[in-house]
Amino acid sequence: MTAAPDAPTPAPGSAHAPSHAAAHAAWAATPERGSGGALRLMVRIALGLGWRAAHGMLFPVTLFYLVTSPAAQKRAARRYLTRALGRVARWRDLWRLYFCFASTMLDRVFLLTGRRQGYRVEVTGLETLRAAAARGQGLVLLGAHMGSFEALRAVGGDGAPVEVRMLMHTANAGPADALFDSLDPTRRAAVIALGRPEAMLEAREVLDRAGVVGLLADRAVRGDRMMSVPFLGHPAPFPGGPMTLAAILRAPVVLGFGLWLGPRRYVLRFEAFAPAIDLPRDRREAALRDWLARYADRLSEVCRAHPYNWFNFYEFWGDAP
Amino acid sequence: MTTTLSLEAEVAGLIVEALHLEITPGEIDPEAPLFGEGLGLDSIDALEIALAVSKRYGFQLRSDDERNHRIFRSLRALAAHIETNRTG
Repeated sequence: MTAAPDAPTPAPGSAHAPSHAAAHAAWAATPERGSGGALRLMVRIALGLGWRAAHGMLFPVTLFYLVTSPAAQKRAARRYLTRALGRVARWRDLWRLYFCFASTMLDRVFLLTGRRQGYRVEVTGLETLRAAAARGQGLVLLGAHMGSFEALRAVGGDGAPVEVRMLMHTANAGPADALFDSLDPTRRAAVIALGRPEAMLEAREVLDRAGVVGLLADRAVRGDRMMSVPFLGHPAPFPGGPMTLAAILRAPVVLGFGLWLGPRRYVLRFEAFAPAIDLPRDRREAALRDWLARYADRLSEVCRAHPYNWFNFYEFWGDAP
Repeated sequence: MTTTLSLEAEVAGLIVEALHLEITPGEIDPEAPLFGEGLGLDSIDALEIALAVSKRYGFQLRSDDERNHRIFRSLRALAAHIETNRTG
């Protein structure tokens, strides 16, 4: 439950090399540190002793990771926090960010295994999803490395009348992913693995069945080209891939955030983003930039409102001094 | 054989048009892999091709078709599949 914060991983064999030096640097960022064995042990403790005991463990665990994580990672995290908070980030801010991350990891263990007792999850914007389902229309759900996408899936998908599948690369799944897959065997089935010719056909068919196709939009899905758009007041490279996939799938786009509010408290927020992403061929570049800017703008607002929920622990802006 | 050959050329044209490739249909090697190496197409292109095929030939390429690996192997294989399944 305490794998090091996810670092972006390149898509092997990708046809598109990242053109942005910063993006390239990001690929090289922090390797996943939690070993499979240590993770399994912590999961066993969590499930054996229950949430309260495991929650108590989060304090020493967070301290350990905060102390031992690479200085560059902490520097990057503080730079993000300073921008999101609008003031110089202090150690306690860094603590809150890491603690929030550790909390969402712990909660995944419970949410994935169906132990939802004691959790309070508020859901907003469900009418957007319901309206689409009522029209028999599929939706593309854009998520981010923010809060708990798992909560979004595990709880939001609970009793949901629609099929929810994630479109993502699975080749780089680390020990944490393998572990979470073992906790919830349906997790893997809910993923449409990119990198196969039929991946997008599968996604299109989910939409044709009025299902939801989820994508994480703040990191490259296939080593795709990055485009610089303003994010928290400074230009940051965003991947064109997820937005392009959303455009190609020709479906209304909804944003989804599973935000951690406190111990066992989440808010799942769904917001309509666009009836369709249109990328006309003659001005594709400019249109893509506009959509990315709009997305980054909304992401900025959510980051300012929930600064400790952002889990991109690397030089996101690529402007390391 | 002539029908297959002309259909092959037609499908090559369809691919170039659907994907806005900057080559002429004649430049696609009918035996070369469409995906990965060869023409270097990806899953997005597969979707575009599938949509174009269903529009032009009136049948769906499905993701769960176990023959996909074979169907998308080359232009020739795709054309042969269209030949046997076309309704339009």
